[in-house]
Amino acid sequence: MIIIGIFQLILWELLIPTAAGVFFACVDEKAAKPPLMWICGQMLLWTLFQISCVPFVLLEIDFVYFVRTYTLIVAVTLIASLAVYRSRRMKIKRQRLQIKYSLSVKVLWSVFAVLLLLQLILSAVMTYSDGDDAFYVAVSTITNNAGTMYRKLPYTGGSTDLDARHGLAPFPIWISYLSEVSGIKAAAVAHTALPIALIAMTYAVFYLMATRLVKKDNIPLFLIFTEILVLFGNYSHYTAENFMIARSRQGKAALGNIIIPMLIWLMLVIAGHLGEMRRISASTWLLLAAVLSAGCLCSTLGALICCLLVGISGLCMAFTYKKWRVLIHMALCCIPCAVYALMYAALK
Amino acid sequence: MLENLLRLFSEYMGTGLITVWFLFSVIYLFVFEKKKEKRVMLVYMPVLALVLFFNPAFAGIVYSVLDDEIYYRLLWLLPVTVTTAYTVTDIYGRLCGRKKIYFAGVAVVLVIVSGSLIYSDSNFHAAENVYHVPDSVVDICDAIEVEGREVTAVFPAELLQYVRQYSGTVCMPYGREMIVDRWNNFNELYNIMESDVPDASELASEARSQSCVYIVLSEDKEIAGSLAAYDFEEFGKIDGYIIYIDTLADLSI
Repeated sequence: MIIIGIFQLILWELLIPTAAGVFFACVDEKAAKPPLMWICGQMLLWTLFQISCVPFVLLEIDFVYFVRTYTLIVAVTLIASLAVYRSRRMKIKRQRLQIKYSLSVKVLWSVFAVLLLLQLILSAVMTYSDGDDAFYVAVSTITNNAGTMYRKLPYTGGSTDLDARHGLAPFPIWISYLSEVSGIKAAAVAHTALPIALIAMTYAVFYLMATRLVKKDNIPLFLIFTEILVLFGNYSHYTAENFMIARSRQGKAALGNIIIPMLIWLMLVIAGHLGEMRRISASTWLLLAAVLSAGCLCSTLGALICCLLVGISGLCMAFTYKKWRVLIHMALCCIPCAVYALMYAALK
Repeated sequence: MLENLLRLFSEYMGTGLITVWFLFSVIYLFVFEKKKEKRVMLVYMPVLALVLFFNPAFAGIVYSVLDDEIYYRLLWLLPVTVTTAYTVTDIYGRLCGRKKIYFAGVAVVLVIVSGSLIYSDSNFHAAENVYHVPDSVVDICDAIEVEGREVTAVFPAELLQYVRQYSGTVCMPYGREMIVDRWNNFNELYNIMESDVPDASELASEARSQSCVYIVLSEDKEIAGSLAAYDFEEFGKIDGYIIYIDTLADLSI
């Protein structure tokens, strides 16, 4: 049973997101397809999760019905992604990177892989005592047990009015969903399985950024330095790097280490295209909207932080490239964030 | 307000040196980086983000909407790791021969010395199981759970933050909110449980009034009197804890 559960988690955290990522396979020709599709696919699935889950939470519909609905949504998405792959297969294969590395670069890639493996193993076998888990992991456990979402007190267990404020960022419910489909207890998914996936995801995003910033032979060196900066990032308990290793299972860690870096990467892609006088594709804008929505899933602060990042970057780009229309596109992509921000303000 | 913002930034900087390297990186890129997209995202955007963070008017607006405790997270907009790593890689790329290797080595040492290994944090320790809660919590919850219903049990403070992570059916009269001093919560049962020598009569009475079927105490905990005299009998001993069950409680579904 546990083997099936582990396979289910690999399916839902790796294979399905990668398949769903085919919609965005051509967003950036500089990046290798597997990590690009994995990360972008996960953003899409998180967006679909956010859009579908929040109404179920606010309408106080039981978890079991949401599980069926979201599973159906993912199934439809995968069918659509298969159709898209068939139509774009040649273009995707044409853009496949032909990479040959020297011995020294291969050594650097090996060092990166060893350090990454070390972090992944330690995330599973070491624990960080954080009081916020008593809330967020408890919400996940309660959801699986009681079948209700944000209607029980996490700390004590009594029934309560709907906690709509936290329900607008239902990242713990995503953990409950993974627990439900894998049959593995939510606490184990949150503390052992998820950190492995999310830490790996973080470095996949760093890889995407590296492809925009440095030459391909220097990518492993760049990644090694990101690892060292993360590993020695305990100079403060408030940094995103500290959250990444110590609090991987919490939505705010995903916000700081996956969503925000994804947005920075996307801004680099958009700015690069502006500089090359290239048209920015619809899939790029859709991906931006998806990442912004995924930010709302991770944290109620996500809407503000993500829109700030996009707004500041957009203004800088508009001034630098004298392309003011880009602000309109970015504003449109921020609409989901605005909606969730208004809902939060109304519920506060 | 500005003092508060400076305090937040200072806490975010921690020991400070990594942030200094980041600021050095921003200046380096401002001087040497030619590509516009990199200047936009690694120089202009972080500078504007910092200006916004330290703007008292902006901070006031955010404080009114969100908890002031989390305002520091706006500093997550600063791409510290990426900017610093890119600067190191860029300088590395400009050097030739053995200078590259020496520089890379010096950079690694500087980061290690400037930062702090995350696994050396006192809050990190070996996980006892895949749930990352103490084995005692797993064993106690497994022992007291009743199929088909919830049960309420009172736990010692050191276990409070773990119980509900593992079990959704074991309820508690109070939880983690009691061990966070600045939240200023009060619960008479908590005061009795955490006193040096709880009185058995008071403990039994208060636990019963808060619907606790079980009382979990450390084996080392001294009690004045006997819980058995108040119809709380020993249910079991697990991992250094004694579980008492209220014999008057109805556990039927």
